[in-house]
Amino acid sequence: MAKVAREMVEKAGVNVDELLELLVNNAAAELTTFYYYTILRVNLIGLEGEGIKSIAEDARIEDRNHFEALVPRIYELGGKLPEDMKEFHDCSACPPAKLPKDPTDTKALLKVLLEAERCAVRGYTHICNITAGKDHRTYDLALAILHEEIEHEAWFSEFLGEGPSGHFGRRTPGESPFVSKFLHP
Amino acid sequence: MRTFTREELSEYAGEDGGPVYFAYKGKVYDASESWQWRGGKHQVMHAAGQDLTEALADAPHGEDLLSRLPIIGEPVD
Repeated sequence: MAKVAREMVEKAGVNVDELLELLVNNAAAELTTFYYYTILRVNLIGLEGEGIKSIAEDARIEDRNHFEALVPRIYELGGKLPEDMKEFHDCSACPPAKLPKDPTDTKALLKVLLEAERCAVRGYTHICNITAGKDHRTYDLALAILHEEIEHEAWFSEFLGEGPSGHFGRRTPGESPFVSKFLHP
Repeated sequence: MRTFTREELSEYAGEDGGPVYFAYKGKVYDASESWQWRGGKHQVMHAAGQDLTEALADAPHGEDLLSRLPIIGEPVD
């Protein structure tokens, strides 16, 4: 644990235990989403599905990166991950992004992806709101993740006809242009 | 429609796997089946069994998300 770092956050008025629970819940959401997105990506096939597969893969890898980036901050602040993987799954901040009943329904599959990203956008906005100006390191991390979650949302909403995302895809799969600074090379 | 006093509503805070109800703008919502309300807590900081009208003003979502939950009653003073 980074004792002084935690003290600084507490002195700034943040309830660190609540923040840690939020960080663990969001880390759980990232890792479980990585798992569920693996199944969704596998099922993105055919003329419609193949066109979405690459962005689903980018979102999948970047969600795993978010998990990797969150874990050190959890331990720095004196928290820890649950020892039981089932417990970890069940504390996820977002519902499981399960394969739709008809896995050939690409639109239904896109809606699952979009709902998951929108849940993440709300979650990291919440963490940014409670850490802004108080816990600079967690804020910086949550903001970096938020940037990527918003881009994921925009990609999937574009395919559902909600308008252009306004940006290109990644240069390399799962590039994490915002979160990569928190990851070990 | 069923009515809930503040005290009655507090009995539905999701403790021990029980029902999860909360009030918002004159309606009582049942969030028992919502993943986001497991155990009667939402985003760690919000507890069921009470009126959350003021709390939603600071939430990173609007009241549109509440339309996913069944309305089961009205709070009364």
